[in-house]
Amino acid sequence: MVIFAAALAVGAAGSVGYALATGFARAAERADQPDVIVRFAPQRRSVLDERLRRLPNVQRISYRLEVSGVGLAAGGHVRGNAAVDVVEDGRRGYAIMAGHDLGSGPGEALVDRGVARAWNLRAGDEIRVGRLGTLRIAGVALAVDNVAFPLATVPRVYVTEREIQRRFGRERDPAVNLGLLWLADPNRLDVTLAAARPAVFGLRTEQLLTRRGVRQTIDQAAGIVIALLAVFGLVAAACAGAILAAAAGADVRRRAPLLGVQRALGASRRRVVAEQVLGTVFVAAPAAALGLTLGALVAAGPTLALLGFLNETAPGADLLGPLAGALVGLVAVVAAGAGWPAWRLNRRPVSTLLRSGDLIPPPTRRRTRGRPGLALLGARFATARRGRWLSSVAVLGVAGAAVLLVLAVAGLLVSLRDDPGTLGRRYALTVAGDASDLPAVRAVRGVAGADQRSTIEAADSFALTEPMRVIAYGADHVPFESPPLASGRRLRSAREVEVGTFLADTLGLRPGGQLALQPATGRELRFQVVGIVRALENDGRVVYARSAPFRRDDPGLGGPIAIRLAPGADRAQVARRLAQAGFGGRVAGAATPHDRSFLGVLAAVLRTVAMAIGLVCLAAVAQTLALTTRDRRRALAVLRAAGASRRALSAVLAGAAGALLLPALVIAVALERLVLGPAVARLAADYAVLPLGVGAGEALGVGAGAVLVGAVAVLVVTRSAGREPVAAGLERED
Amino acid sequence: MTCLLRVRGLTKTVGAGRVARCVLDGVDVDVAAGELVAVVGPSGSGKSTLLHLAGGLDEPDAGDVEIAGTRLRGRSDTALARLRARHLGFVFQAFHLVPELSGEENVRLAARFGRTRTQARARAAELIDAMGLRAVAGSHPAQLSGGEQRRFAVARALVNDPVLVLADEPTGNLDAESGALVLSLLRAATRHGRGVLVVTHDPAVTTSADRVLALSDGHLR
Repeated sequence: MVIFAAALAVGAAGSVGYALATGFARAAERADQPDVIVRFAPQRRSVLDERLRRLPNVQRISYRLEVSGVGLAAGGHVRGNAAVDVVEDGRRGYAIMAGHDLGSGPGEALVDRGVARAWNLRAGDEIRVGRLGTLRIAGVALAVDNVAFPLATVPRVYVTEREIQRRFGRERDPAVNLGLLWLADPNRLDVTLAAARPAVFGLRTEQLLTRRGVRQTIDQAAGIVIALLAVFGLVAAACAGAILAAAAGADVRRRAPLLGVQRALGASRRRVVAEQVLGTVFVAAPAAALGLTLGALVAAGPTLALLGFLNETAPGADLLGPLAGALVGLVAVVAAGAGWPAWRLNRRPVSTLLRSGDLIPPPTRRRTRGRPGLALLGARFATARRGRWLSSVAVLGVAGAAVLLVLAVAGLLVSLRDDPGTLGRRYALTVAGDASDLPAVRAVRGVAGADQRSTIEAADSFALTEPMRVIAYGADHVPFESPPLASGRRLRSAREVEVGTFLADTLGLRPGGQLALQPATGRELRFQVVGIVRALENDGRVVYARSAPFRRDDPGLGGPIAIRLAPGADRAQVARRLAQAGFGGRVAGAATPHDRSFLGVLAAVLRTVAMAIGLVCLAAVAQTLALTTRDRRRALAVLRAAGASRRALSAVLAGAAGALLLPALVIAVALERLVLGPAVARLAADYAVLPLGVGAGEALGVGAGAVLVGAVAVLVVTRSAGREPVAAGLERED
Repeated sequence: MTCLLRVRGLTKTVGAGRVARCVLDGVDVDVAAGELVAVVGPSGSGKSTLLHLAGGLDEPDAGDVEIAGTRLRGRSDTALARLRARHLGFVFQAFHLVPELSGEENVRLAARFGRTRTQARARAAELIDAMGLRAVAGSHPAQLSGGEQRRFAVARALVNDPVLVLADEPTGNLDAESGALVLSLLRAATRHGRGVLVVTHDPAVTTSADRVLALSDGHLR
């Protein structure tokens, strides 16, 4: 059972880890992802081609025109911000996941996989694409240059250049704005990039994105969590390995007299050990294979959903290799766990082996007052083998700490999704409106403050490839939104800004420095950086500012009105009052709507891993109890002969379980609070202050889980022990 | 006289297939109140198996066992446990004292299944004093001599005042003096109306027994 449970945990955590670690490479390979994507302002194809052809190490170039802000409607969904990629023949840099690629047939389009999933579209369905009108969906495409819609806010469709010419007339030298470059030797990317900069001089280059850069962009979407999953997979594997080794070792020790007999009959030490190892492998291999398979199947659903969000593909049959490796690893751990103690035991004199069937260490307690309690007796049974008890407690403690951390992260993700406060947001509602509506909104009962919250997409004036999001309020943003300050101070005037940590690190900004930013529409603006804030929004690529400087160029600058509630005000009631006053109130979440389901999927994946580790804990407790029962088989039989019922037996085993779980729980909470939580929070410190220390509620929850695990283990082992005839436990001596 | 143990047609086979061996083949035996019955026979003849079956520690292939008028066949595990706690006391050949507990704790542990806390404490103390074990009551089994362990095992068997004591080689491996003390304790138990079934090779026990039965080839004679 323990091998099966441990393999289940390794299968679940390992398949999640492998799928995520290799997802990008796999998808990029399948989609024939270009090594470099160059984004320009629209140019004639011949102009671009003339420049890019001269670059060294380029094997193939393909061009596209990407038109943004196009209306898209299909399956009852409508978006006005779609991107239409006009592709030419040749290499296209995407994979066809369903249906067929665009050919010479008229009136066809490909939809991005994220769009197809979110809108439930299939090949053969119709889609309305801006001025192109209604097109038939030829297939579903996967391109690995960004995360998937709706995590990426822009839905994308592909049409052929031929289709455009058919609709709007033939153009000899069409405009393009994307160059897709495949290199002859991808390892010499630096040579190509060095030559690319002077080659494109004079052209307005907006972005130069390498395959590595794309990967970083995608990893940013779930970077911390994916790293955590890999760590949890390792923890689960380490715990499983320790349990397996301990169990196999205990089994060998129990068989010491048999080893003695074999040696006495003339078997060599090597042969005895080999037989032990082979016997263990024979039992372990099928159980481990079954557990790994089931674990991979359990994790498959959430993993697939997560990969879908990241525009990556499932490993499929590729997973068989790592699973086979895990099978070999697990069996090797069990074999080593059996072989090493067998080897050590066999170094003892044969006479010692023959006597060591029921080794009980000498008692350390001299005297006990009062009648011995059954639970206390069970605890003494569990601690009698000090080494096994300590290793079991250590394994359970580490596994428990991992479970606590996973739950803390999952809880944080749910907070990020639902609780604005996690991101430092203090406003609880937003309503549509403009600055002239502010007095009316502020007059609604329960509203403590209201201000217009505008978001402006911009780029650094000196590095246009560094996009950022400006969050601008009419007045002070702190009453509405206050991400923690990492350094400096809050802004006090319209000429000052606070900058997210990630952006500050990227651009080398410090308090006192200058930020020159180029809004998507409008002229360049310069601000003094006065503070660096730990913000999660837009991966920390944010700037907090006053809206006045932006309004000068864009008087119609809009955005929802953010509303802070008065102390004790009920959010739902205030929303109703706002609706009555003519404002449709919306509850503010911490995540943007397109992030919400992604965060939910991440939390589900984490909970699956936590469940797998919990199963390892259950197996560890059951295994240790079973070993204790086996070791103390005779003592338990004596109790039963003296009239102990199954309930009394349960009390003894509950005591043994308590001796394992109580210290393990203390270790788990301490480890999570003092080591794991702070360490993981430090990992994320570039983005935000993450409260990953386990709270009393979570500790109590895990405590209750431990009690449940203990109860299940006691129940299983008691049933198993109770089925054995008492006489068998006493051993026949006639 | 009241029959405390009635065994009829008890059959038990150990092993399976070609190695199956019938160790008890339709055995009948009765033990009345106040009677000490000894069972003798060569090693491997099934003496301990008979004791285990008589005490409900194992299930026979056929036959019936009644203890103080209660038939064991078909009883649940819980009912058997209750019956053992109230009516039976076991003395095992290898003592089987729990090594983590002191001698006195071993005696009290058995008492918790058949008596209240106060009764258990008083009865355990009484038996320990009666057997001359007070000085070593707090010692653990590893620190006790074979004779002391055997006496604690007998005290544990008697602590619930069972009507029937089943003893497996209670004087085995003991010197003459210790063996005589254990035998006197069992004999004393019969004087209080208990029945004792003893499996033994010890001539001193067979001499002292009310009846001696020989087990051979699965049959009791």
